[in-house]
Order: sequence, then structure tokens, then C-alpha cells
Amino acid sequence: MNRYILRRLVQALPLLLGISIASFALMKAIPGGPLAAYEAAPDFSDADLRRLEHTLGLDQPLPIQYLNWLGKFVAGDWGYSFVSHQPVLVLIGERLPNTIYLMGTVFITVLVLSIPIGVFTAVKQYSWFDHIVTGSTYAFLSTPTFWLGLLLIIFFGLQLRWLPLGGMTTPGASPDLVDRLRHLILPVATIAIVQLGSHVRYLRSSMLETIHQDYMRTARSKGLGERIIVMRHALKNASIPLVTVIALDIPELFAGAIVTEQIYGWPGMGRLFFDAATRLDYPILMGILAVTSTLIVASNLFADVVYGYLDPRIRYS
Amino acid sequence: MKRLLLSVATLALLVAACGAPAPGVTTSAGPSAGGASAAPVRGGTLVFAIWQEPSTLAPNYGNQTVTSVVNEVTVEGLLTTDTNGNYQPVLAKSVPTVSNGGVKLSADGKRMDVTYQLQPDIKWSDGEPFTSADVKFTWETWMKDPKVITREGYDQIDSVDTPDPLTVVLHYKSVYGPYPTRFGSIIPKHTLEKVADISSSDYGRRPLGTGPFKVTDFKAGDSITVERNPNYRNKGQPYLDKIIFRSVPSREVAVAQLKAGEVQGMWNLLEAQTPDLEKDANIKLAISPSPSVERIEINTAENKEGTDPNSTHPVLGDINVRRALIYATPKQQIIDKLLFGKARVGSSPVSQGWASPKGLTQEAYDPKKATELLDQGGWVKGGDGIRTKNGVRASITITTTTGDAIRERVEQILVDEYKQIGVELKISNIPSSVLLSASWSAGDPRKHGVFDMVMYASSPGIDPHQTVSLRYHSKKIPYPGNNGDGQNYTRFKNPDADKAIDEAGSTLDFEKRAAAYARALKLLNDAAVIIWMYERSGIDAFRANVFGYSPNVWDNITGNTEDWYIKGAAQSY
Repeated sequence: MNRYILRRLVQALPLLLGISIASFALMKAIPGGPLAAYEAAPDFSDADLRRLEHTLGLDQPLPIQYLNWLGKFVAGDWGYSFVSHQPVLVLIGERLPNTIYLMGTVFITVLVLSIPIGVFTAVKQYSWFDHIVTGSTYAFLSTPTFWLGLLLIIFFGLQLRWLPLGGMTTPGASPDLVDRLRHLILPVATIAIVQLGSHVRYLRSSMLETIHQDYMRTARSKGLGERIIVMRHALKNASIPLVTVIALDIPELFAGAIVTEQIYGWPGMGRLFFDAATRLDYPILMGILAVTSTLIVASNLFADVVYGYLDPRIRYS
Repeated sequence: MKRLLLSVATLALLVAACGAPAPGVTTSAGPSAGGASAAPVRGGTLVFAIWQEPSTLAPNYGNQTVTSVVNEVTVEGLLTTDTNGNYQPVLAKSVPTVSNGGVKLSADGKRMDVTYQLQPDIKWSDGEPFTSADVKFTWETWMKDPKVITREGYDQIDSVDTPDPLTVVLHYKSVYGPYPTRFGSIIPKHTLEKVADISSSDYGRRPLGTGPFKVTDFKAGDSITVERNPNYRNKGQPYLDKIIFRSVPSREVAVAQLKAGEVQGMWNLLEAQTPDLEKDANIKLAISPSPSVERIEINTAENKEGTDPNSTHPVLGDINVRRALIYATPKQQIIDKLLFGKARVGSSPVSQGWASPKGLTQEAYDPKKATELLDQGGWVKGGDGIRTKNGVRASITITTTTGDAIRERVEQILVDEYKQIGVELKISNIPSSVLLSASWSAGDPRKHGVFDMVMYASSPGIDPHQTVSLRYHSKKIPYPGNNGDGQNYTRFKNPDADKAIDEAGSTLDFEKRAAAYARALKLLNDAAVIIWMYERSGIDAFRANVFGYSPNVWDNITGNTEDWYIKGAAQSY
């Protein structure tokens, strides 16, 4: 087991390196550049442009720019924003708690709701509850967040005026719990509704598959109670595919939700990434992409390890 | 079921009535009830929505407009420009000119010294005195720091003398006409002189200034809070306790929050958003003309990579075609229909201020004249309605920034209008980060000459010299031979215009300079290389209980926050 994890970790290194080269190359392939925005100033001269290109190292050949970034990154120096000149680590550090707060709430909400709903719809297959859930989760799953988010804002924010239109707290007021919760409801609902759709459907279909297995009949014939059969025998086996889905939610705790954070003006990682992407602020983009890809690789490994616990038939070699 | 629905609806109404800020709260809560206008109320917090986030507040690193929208409540300069385009002293006692002895030309007339007398008893918001050493330090920083955005003008200064704490003498190595536009932001020596790299210090988020407010909180991506500066020179001002600049994701969200009363003011609306807000009695618009002019620049050289400035565009090289296109452009109709009348027909790149050429016009919409010109020029209509001459089809492409709804609709109108005079117009838009990068290496198609017509907006400063010389002097045509230096994208060449521009740049007499620019811009219009579409407006909006703001053509709406006050809903924290 330990050797398996070690091998996977070693394999991950060239993979991550490849991802970082690909992201760097793709970013550089986008026409324009981080200095494009300075044109608006009438007194910005070509000499100024060339001086800034030199200062920021943008006049060097691309492979050199990449190696410079990589060398410093590995040594723990994530560089400075081309626009604000703040250290990338500081910029990430001040946004990360806000994103974990948002995405963590989403994560827990989705988990708490999807498991009972998924189990219940499978156990009561073809009941009216099942039909409603299957139909609505299909709709949720296909809903784009940018549309749903705006719809919720228009309805609950503008029409009914029940909830604030955006931000994390009311500016100027000392934020209390109620104020924080009021600001949290719409963005959490926007992301959770869409995620709930996919999670419930995953769990329902794998529960259905499990329920019809032979060992379920064996369990029943032993005279075990229905609750134990469902929870211990069915759910544990059925949750393996769900583990993959949930494990892939973990990187989002870091990366945030670009669209939703943008719509609600949430000061999180998604918005930092979006703003950096619009200005082609490479150091910020590379920093976020590097961490996100590391988390994706790590959470996949985590999912594989958890499989072994959930299903002893899975062997690592 | 019906009853249930009904009670839900009632409940909804109830909650809405309790929870929402009641619209129209301007009942007689303020001390000056009854509408007495000149009685500012002291106290209160104003939340002001900005739909871009300033990535830095440091004047030396930030060139986004929104940076100055926020930082000018705290950072001040020696001079400013009033809405009529006249220079006014801020930290200086007066505007130095040749006639008041503040500007002295050298004996050979090739250099000049500018002397500023500073206002006495001005303090930084931390209580330290403001002196001439700060002005000198500002110049040194601009010249030394490699990350400073622009050194324009500062690089024309040889040295700076500070004979006493309230006098600063700038020794220019040339005759630099736009000198009053420099030193618009002074940075404090006493806190920054020991900082090795200002860019990575917290000055970018907590700039120390002499203005009415001081920055007390910077929540990235969320809000920036400024509070009353106790050391501000005007006693009793500012009236507001606090301004919170709230960063919101878009103009639309800012409008929604303004309507809902979540914010009391917002920055920078589009012309097309005004009809909706004008209907709302709780909202007032602050509109002024802006120096920004939307234009279509026409490439007179061949449309190809690294084009030769002396080559001729097969279609647009013909002045008859260019003039016909100007005649066929319905500017007023576009302004009325798409901009709701909140713009003015353009005629030059310098639409405002002392250098704006008086009486300069451009041909008004007249498709008949356009047809005549094309006929005269030998462009004959073919079977498909498109004209040809010597086998060349009158087919051209227009390019603008992608995703700009107004510009895209303007393009549609032009396709239709030009088709009627027998010119085929195709649309090919590209992202603004490419189209407007103004960088040779980033592949700006205007610099590389890879375009037929390009539509965008640009605004000159109050002193238009950089704009006019960079864009209309024949020495500033970008091509591979000069590594793409300059922004003369139409490849306009006229020796008389060059002479006028050079003359305007080497004299200090404002009247002579204005006359010289007028000559150059007249020649530019005679060549019919740019269609001046419209002069934009600067539009901001406030709740109806906010007073004291005054829009300025040359400054952001936040230029006079010391005078702002809020009535009725004044809250204190």
C-alpha cells in the first residue's frame, strides 16, 4: 500500500511538470499581453513599454521565462503580480479563506443533501418522489450557473429584495452572523443546486446497481433489518463512484467557482483568477494553476486509496 | 392550493416591505428639511460602487482610471484641471507661467526652469509637514523605479532644487509645454525614502496623502474604505465620515445595487444605461462631456504585415473612397438611436479644453454626395451592387473590440449604409487586449498595418501634445524599420502638419500652441483618414439624497469628495 502511494507520487511529478508547461504555453499563446492595458494612458510612450517589458522579463525568450518561473516557484518564490506588484502568495492568501468558506459550505450542503436523497430515490425506485427527484436533478444538472445565478439575483435580490445582491458582507456594517448568512445563501444555492443534480444521480444509479446484487439477497435472507441492509451493505458499496466525484470537488475548495464568484462579487480565488486572466497576469495564473493541478492529482490518488477501504476486493500492485 | 399561494404572496410582500430599504427615504430627517440647498450635512458613510477593482492605489504603478477614482481622495498633486480646462493650484500656491515669472526660459530659448511655490501648513494625513523635499522625492522615484508606468515629462527634467521647504525649482533640459500636467500625484518622502522597493510595499494599498480622506482598509476583491483625514487643510471638511468603495463585478450589478439603495453612488455608466435610470426619482445622474472620442481610423497603406508606410491601399488609398465613407456614416442617427442622445458628433481628436480647435468640422451624413464622389473617382457599380475600379472590388473590413454591444451595432449600421453606396463592408472583430495593445511584440494589428478600418476610442490629456504628436506626426508611423514605434495608424503624412505639431511642442504660449494644433488637425481632416464618430460623455450616478458632487470633464467624479454630503439617511458608525 505505502509503496503504491509512493509510486503514484513519483509518477505525478512529470505529469505536473507537463501540465505547467502546457498551461504556460497556452497562456502565452493568447494574443495580447499584460502590458496591453496601459495603452489607454495618452502619455504612455513606446520607451515606457519597452522598459516595463524588460523590467518584468517579458522581453526574454519563452523557454527562459518559463524556466525562471519554475526555478523560483520550486524554491517557494511564487513571484509578483505584473499589475499590482504584490507577492502572488499574499494575493492567494487573502482570497483563499473566502473561497474555502464559500466552497466548504457548498461541499457540506451537497454532501448532507445528496446522500439521503440519492439513497431514498434508489430504494423507492419509480415512486412519485423518485420521479420528481430524477426529473428535477436532470434539470439542475443541465442548468448553467451564470444563468441560474442571475435568475436568483433578479428574483430574490431585485424583485423580492429578500437577500443582498452580492458581496460577502454589508459594507460599513460590522458583519454579524445573520449578515454573513444572508450573503452566503444565493451563491451557495447557485453552485449547490447544480452539483446536487450530478451527485444525486451518481448515487442513485450506483445504489440501484448494488441493490440488485446477490449479496443483498443473502443479507435479506439472513433476516437483517432493511435499514442495516441499505446503510451498511448497499450504501458502502454504492458510494465508490461517489467518492471519485467528491474527491474531484476538493480542488474546487482551492480554485473556487469562477462564474459564481464573478456574478456575486465574491472576493475569492475564482475572481482572482478571472481578473488575472483578463489582464494576462501570468504569475498569478501560473500560481493558481499549479496548486489546482496538484490538488487534482492528489485528490485522485486520495480517491483511489479510499476505494481500497470501501471495497477490500480492490488490490493495489 | 389557491389560498396557500395567496398567503405566500402576502408573506412575500410583508417581508419585502420590512426587509427592503424603503425607496424614497428623503423625508424630513435632515436638518435642512424644506430643500434649503447650501447647508451641507456633516457625517455619514457613502458606499460608492466601482465595477473594476484597482489592483494598486499607488499613482506610480496604476494607470487604470479606477485607480485614480479611488486614490485621488487621498493623493493630491501640485496642480489640477478644472472642468473648463484651466489649470488650478492644489498643493502649489499658484500656476507658474511665463507671465508670472514662474517659468523662465534659458537665454538660448532651448531650456526652461519652472518654479513652484508650495502652500504653507499642509500636512500629510499622518501629521508630518508636506515640503518641497516631497516633490523632489517624487521626481527621483519616477526616474529611478523601473516599474513606474510612464516617465513622460519627468525624463525632460535634469535636476530639481529645493532652496527652501516651500520652493521647488525644476530644471528642464528642453522647453516642455505640458509641464503643468506633471506632478499630479505627490508621494511622501518621510515614509517611502527608506523603502527599497515601493512596488511590493503596502503603499499600493495604503497610500499616504494630503487629501480629504485616508485609506483605512483594503479588502481585496471586496471594498476599500477611506475615512476623514483629521489633518486636512480645509477646516470642517470633508463632510462625510467615510466612503466605502465597493467593488462589484459589472456596471449592471452596480446599477442594480444603486436602484436597491445598497450603494449611494456609482462610477462610470454607459450612455445606453441612462434612460432606465432617468426614470427613477431616487437617482440622479452626473453627466459631463468627456475627452474620449470614438473614431474609425482608415489604413491608407496596404493591408499587410509590417506594411510599407509609402505603399497605397488598393481601395482606401483613394481619397474619394475615404471621403465617401465619411459622407455615408450617419453619426447623428447612431448617437440618437444607440447612445440616447448622450454624445455629440465628433470632428477632431481634441474635443475639449484650451487646445480644442474651434470651428473644425467633418462632413455630415449625405449619402448622395458619397455616391457622386465614388462616381467621380471612377468606381463603377457591378452586377452585385458593389463598385469596382481597374478590377479592384470596393470591399473592405472593419475591426473593433469583440463583445462591445454598441460597437457591434454600429458596425451593422455601417454595413448597411456602405452597401447602399456600393461599398462592401465585412466585420472581423478581435479582443481588445490584442487590438488595443499598442505593442509591436503583442501583435497590435494597427501597428503592424494589418487592417482596413479600425473603430475604437481614445482620449487625450488636457495637454494634447503626446496624443497629437504620437498619432499624427509622420515620424510616428510604425513599421519594422523603427520597431513599430509610434501610433500613426492611418499612415498619415503631411509635412505642413508635421511642422505645425513640432511648433506646438516647442513653444510655451498657449494661444500659439492651440493655433498650431488647429492647423495640424485641419490638415488631418482634409486628408479624410479618420471618421470622428462621436464624443463620449462621462456619466456617474448617485442616490437623490447625495449632494455636493460636481462632474469634471478632466477629472473623475471623486475629484471633490471633500464637498460631498448625504442627507436624511446619514448614518454614523
